[in-house]
Amino acid sequence: MIRRGKGVGCMWYPIGFTVLANPSAATVKVNEDGTATLLTGTVETGQGSLTVLAQIAAEELGVSTDDIHVVSADTDTTPMDTGAIASRTTYVTGNAIKLAAANAKQILFEVAAPLLEVQPNQLEAVDRKIQVQYFPQRCLPIADVALQAQFVMGRPPIGSASYNPPTVGMDPETGQGKPFSTYVYATQCAEVEVDDETGEVDVIYMSAAHDCGTAINPMLVEGQIEGGISMGIGFALQEEMLFDDKGLQLNPNLTNYIMPTSLDMPEIDVDIVENFDPTGPFGAKGVGEPTAVPTAAAICNAIFDAVGVRITSLPATAEKVLRAIKEKNDNDQKILPAAE
Amino acid sequence: MADEVKVADKTETVESLRKIDDNLRLPSVPEKRVFPKEIDVSAARMQTPAVGQRATRPDGRMHGLGQTKYIDDMFFPGMIHAKIKRAGIAHAKIKSIDVSEAEKMPGVMATLIGSEIPVNSFGPSLQDQPLLADDVVRHAGDGVAAVAAVTEQQALDALEKIKIVYEELPNVFDPVEAMKDDAYKIHNNESNIYASKTIMKGDVEKGFADSDFIFERTFTTQMVEHVPMEPHASIGEWDANGRVTLHSSLGRITLGRADISRTLEMPINRIRIIATVVGGNFGGKNEITTEPIVALLSKKTGRPVKCVFTREDEFISSTTRHPFVMEYKTGMSKEGKIMARKVRLICDGGAYCSWSETTLGKACILSAGPYNIENLHVDAYAVYTTKTMTGAMRGFGAPQVCFAYESHMDDMAAELGIEPLEIRLKNAFNEGSASPTGQVLEAVVVKDSLEMATERFGWKEWRK
Amino acid sequence: MTDVTLIVNGETKTASVPPETTLLKMLREDLNYTGSKLGCDVGDCGACTVLVDGLAVNACLMLAGQAEGKEILTIEGLSTLEKYHPIQKAFEDVAALQCGFCGPGMIMTTKALIDQDEDVTRQNIKDALSGNLCRCTGYTKIIEGVIDAYQEITGKKLPEIKPRAA
Repeated sequence: MIRRGKGVGCMWYPIGFTVLANPSAATVKVNEDGTATLLTGTVETGQGSLTVLAQIAAEELGVSTDDIHVVSADTDTTPMDTGAIASRTTYVTGNAIKLAAANAKQILFEVAAPLLEVQPNQLEAVDRKIQVQYFPQRCLPIADVALQAQFVMGRPPIGSASYNPPTVGMDPETGQGKPFSTYVYATQCAEVEVDDETGEVDVIYMSAAHDCGTAINPMLVEGQIEGGISMGIGFALQEEMLFDDKGLQLNPNLTNYIMPTSLDMPEIDVDIVENFDPTGPFGAKGVGEPTAVPTAAAICNAIFDAVGVRITSLPATAEKVLRAIKEKNDNDQKILPAAE
Repeated sequence: MADEVKVADKTETVESLRKIDDNLRLPSVPEKRVFPKEIDVSAARMQTPAVGQRATRPDGRMHGLGQTKYIDDMFFPGMIHAKIKRAGIAHAKIKSIDVSEAEKMPGVMATLIGSEIPVNSFGPSLQDQPLLADDVVRHAGDGVAAVAAVTEQQALDALEKIKIVYEELPNVFDPVEAMKDDAYKIHNNESNIYASKTIMKGDVEKGFADSDFIFERTFTTQMVEHVPMEPHASIGEWDANGRVTLHSSLGRITLGRADISRTLEMPINRIRIIATVVGGNFGGKNEITTEPIVALLSKKTGRPVKCVFTREDEFISSTTRHPFVMEYKTGMSKEGKIMARKVRLICDGGAYCSWSETTLGKACILSAGPYNIENLHVDAYAVYTTKTMTGAMRGFGAPQVCFAYESHMDDMAAELGIEPLEIRLKNAFNEGSASPTGQVLEAVVVKDSLEMATERFGWKEWRK
Repeated sequence: MTDVTLIVNGETKTASVPPETTLLKMLREDLNYTGSKLGCDVGDCGACTVLVDGLAVNACLMLAGQAEGKEILTIEGLSTLEKYHPIQKAFEDVAALQCGFCGPGMIMTTKALIDQDEDVTRQNIKDALSGNLCRCTGYTKIIEGVIDAYQEITGKKLPEIKPRAA
């Protein structure tokens, strides 16, 4: 018989390395026409980080995402970066880029200020213009200012900066300290169907509400969450490297190592929890890893709700679930009160 | 005979050399790249302010057109292919390695063994891993030798001719067994435990004494592979100035460059790493693998050398997710408030440390869950075993401990007759809560996420 | 070595290859169509999917010689200098691809599905894509991209799935 169940999994997750320095540096070069080139040493490993980083640079310069070209991942040409690890790119590299863009922007402000007859600190960069705060009618196109900076003032608007998240070392005895600058929070809920005759578990629906601070690009955040859930489903139900008694892996191929396919994916609703982290670039934190964290917990709790068995060892394969159901049934029979 | 030529200690006929040239299948004239001349840029990319826009990805367009150049899509003139010989034995002393027969195989241009690597060790926290094992094999996927040949198939064929004499050593597969004093010491250390972490907050014994209920449960998780769709790949090209250019699927190039500099004993400014778009990382491509090997093979042969992992290499030799043993003991008040928690984590590190220390640290800190717990004691250990080494993988121990603390939570909720959502809301962090390490937390939205996800789910109305 | 002639994306191509050469290897290494990817080499992952006479095939499982004289369509053959192919556009628009390594295979499978000229359901799409592995996306946005492309190409509409509650 098919039995349905619901389960919830909740988690917290830090951004960046544990205590250790994990800096990023960046360079933003504003071109003569107000477009810009961003140099970053991080590596695009699929998550869309280069687009997100372009958005951060664009926001700081008041231009559009398409105005930024990103050059990445070449040790000869791009500045130091700790890399695509520890969900740190948006937060740490993003902060470095925001600072670098601000430095380039400062040159634009200093060039524009006399032209607009104000002080540099009265200016802002909005919608491809350098304009006076609270008096946006007085403005210059960013292209004009950039051209002026480079060819008249001889000050190419280039900014470089670095960022390292502040931490406090942990006490070796008690572990007390501030190992991370910030954390994100998330909850996922799963609805499953368990066949109590075969032990097979089908995840049919998942809702996921993730905090990532400001979602710099909500479409890419959704992509991370959906992908994390698929990895979580594999972890919960399918994937396991198996070894023989000599220590040789029995399933070193994708035929026998089972990972989720399109048929294993449930309907997913993703919500982004509104939040703003003042230490992140435009309030952003990160989203990469946490998406895969609470899925297995939610699914196993849903299995518990459906058939009353607690899976204590992953993955919850059909064999394991069926064995647990049988054990439970045997125990239930044993504790029936004896007839008087 | 007159047409016999002596090449690297083997006798070749002009005929066979011609054949090698035949087999040196360089790409033909490159195909034209077809792309629409006029493509609209999506509105979201053109808008200001840029933050919050659903901006499309320029690299995404290249992926869809099939024009992204991953490492394996790059061909350089004269490029040859390297393959790695895997030990195929989990734990053994290497008595001898003989590559002479392999070197005589058709198309083979060079071989490399561990003792030829200037500093044959690496690792992010402990440098305990050889690039190619030269003394002891500690898991079956350890590389023991490399061959560079004109074609991949020739390199694979030559691997079969490498003769290695092993002396088997005792295997230790179970991390709990490995922790015992009398267990065989895989790295000749005093213990197989190579990292430990502790968190102590409040008074856990008093907390248990004050609790109405005590719950205990042990959870375990399995070893998981990252399965990036693109296997690890690198191309090394040594040049006349003693610089090496490495195209690599590495996810962290700056630190990777430092590792390569260390293993090759060469100045950092002579190493250039170019990482194109990595075809999936998930933590698995955060360490050097074949980069120093292709660099040295390129130095030996004067040619660009490419090495792409087979899917089997990917499984048996790259890092994986740590299996954990997690013992949880939690004291609860009858109202459902967590009074105290004691956790013991054993993290099966496999053959080498890799990112285990980091994983252990994060797991240790996160193991209490996003809940206010005044009295907490966590002990965590990372242990060597003679299995595939574990390393960084999406979540660094968090998916493991989350599975444990959230399963444990529902167990307790069921026992106390409290609704799962309710018991979480009762214990969840608030703004300003102190974390297990005593850090004051800001921008905390655990409860918001609980409410949002359950509302979307229709948690309260949901019926079986 | 044997000479193999293929019609790749409408152009006749010949190469001399060892008999054990797979269609994938010939396309990638001899003809330089590197859009199709090698992910597993044994037909598990689908990253090498191309169309052979209109049918989706794992190019790593087919010998080049078996494809002699056949029409091969690879990812490079979809868009032209004039027109961006609707499947590729749909995938870009919804950010269906992350690392992108599975992308060419996914798109060719999608092309084969839509070319069948039959009414398609969400389940059909999931079934069709089940031989193409992706580790990044959870398939969700890929399926969204397939639906958008299907609707764009055929003019048909798939019923919307309403999000729950909220």
